[in-house]
Amino acid sequence: MEKQNRRQFLRLAIRGTLFGGLALITGDLLFRKGGSLFNNNIMSGPTVWQLDPSKCIQCGRCATNCVKTPSAVKCTHAFSMCGYCNLCSGYFKPGTKNLDTGAEKQVCPVNAIKRSYVEDPFFEYTIDESLCIGCGKCVKGCGAFGNGSLQLQVRHPLCDNCNECSIARNCPAGAFSRVPASDPYLLKGFGKDRV
Amino acid sequence: MKKTILIVLSLILLFALIGWMLFDLFMGRPELEKNPYDFGMKKLRETQIIPAYSEALPIKPALKKITSVATGPEGKIFVAGDGGVETFDFGGHLLNRISFPGIATCIAVMNNNILVIGMEDHVELWNSSGIQVSSWKAIDTSSVITSVAVNKQFIYVADAGEKIVYKYTLQGKMLARIGEKDPSRNIPGFIIPSPFFDVAISPAGDLWVANTGRYKLEKYGNDGSLLASWGEPSASIEGFAGCCNPSNFTFLPDGLFVTSEKGIERVKIYSQDGKFLALVAGPEAFDEGTHGLDLAATANGWILVIDPSRNQLRIFLPLEKK
Repeated sequence: MEKQNRRQFLRLAIRGTLFGGLALITGDLLFRKGGSLFNNNIMSGPTVWQLDPSKCIQCGRCATNCVKTPSAVKCTHAFSMCGYCNLCSGYFKPGTKNLDTGAEKQVCPVNAIKRSYVEDPFFEYTIDESLCIGCGKCVKGCGAFGNGSLQLQVRHPLCDNCNECSIARNCPAGAFSRVPASDPYLLKGFGKDRV
Repeated sequence: MKKTILIVLSLILLFALIGWMLFDLFMGRPELEKNPYDFGMKKLRETQIIPAYSEALPIKPALKKITSVATGPEGKIFVAGDGGVETFDFGGHLLNRISFPGIATCIAVMNNNILVIGMEDHVELWNSSGIQVSSWKAIDTSSVITSVAVNKQFIYVADAGEKIVYKYTLQGKMLARIGEKDPSRNIPGFIIPSPFFDVAISPAGDLWVANTGRYKLEKYGNDGSLLASWGEPSASIEGFAGCCNPSNFTFLPDGLFVTSEKGIERVKIYSQDGKFLALVAGPEAFDEGTHGLDLAATANGWILVIDPSRNQLRIFLPLEKK
């Protein structure tokens, strides 16, 4: 093999680096998760962070890891799914006997859920987003005993849409992903008309 | 020599650094730390009493997603699920398999071994040889059939979507809607917040329905009148743990109730007047979050439990009869 001089070695190294970089960019375009040249799922427009309720395990990190205080993640209520239960397991602590609005009986640590009478025996539960910290405690109760109509979602008017979402980085369930800004909610259940 | 060692050491360090970066980038997942907003499910799932039953080896059906279990007149066990029904004997040996498209959400068996199978919005009858006898028309576009029960004269169909129990002839003619809210007859109506809505016929021939939003089991007469009810919401062992419970129930041959719950997954036995008698299996017997523990009982008192999480038919035997 012919011995290379320094100039030839440098030229080869630069060419190799450029070729490698080009290969990496091409590979990223072709096989990128969530959008590639192959699956026609490229998000061409702006994107925002969102969490998938079907993956969420209510670990509490949405409340503690967001750069905003309180968190931009809020509990949202899918009213079309809700059973309007008298004994709402997302509202009342387990074992509560007298079903009234005493703060000590509520699951929510900041009393962000409002309970109002509809007709016997139905009650409506609405979320006060100015109080909600996105801890997911009510979501856990509703999902375990009820039908999961309480779900956590990133509320985009409140979210800074950080390049690297601090919650997404720390989410143990991998529930966060970027979604098209034109369709920014990932609620499970019936339709998307209830936020 | 010194230079070679230095190069080797540098290379090892470089590779270790690249390895750590790659692991951190692609594999690293933060550990679950203590949740300051924990709901407390772990404490709720702690068993308060010792079960009066022990578990035998489960049956593992080949169906992809099992949903329902029933016992037949000859002691056969029928398991329904995604794509069909499988029949087993007491020993767990597969006797027969019926295949069809769609998910069978519930099953009951007539005395002549005709299978009554609830699909999502309609009912189908099959004989034990795997031939479809009839397929009834869909009830409603919003129907979600969650349970069927049969006696010598009628078939009862629980529809969680419509929140009503339908009474049919064995030939599929609808005769009545049972459980509609009617203050003049003291019928409060069914509250069904989630798709768990079970019906069963007691050994005495009575129709019982699980009104899960009221945490009660209700008995209805032939004319649709509400005759009796029992049940209280409670996280403790005597009651039903809140909304949507009991998710399923069945009867032992002597008329005792067997109930199952979601949230705090447990199977329990109650007297005919609703007094808690025994724990069959506590939450530690099931994966957290298991829903839809459908039940059946055999003539010798075994309790069969569908476990959708593990896709197994779990079998529980009374301790003294094991």
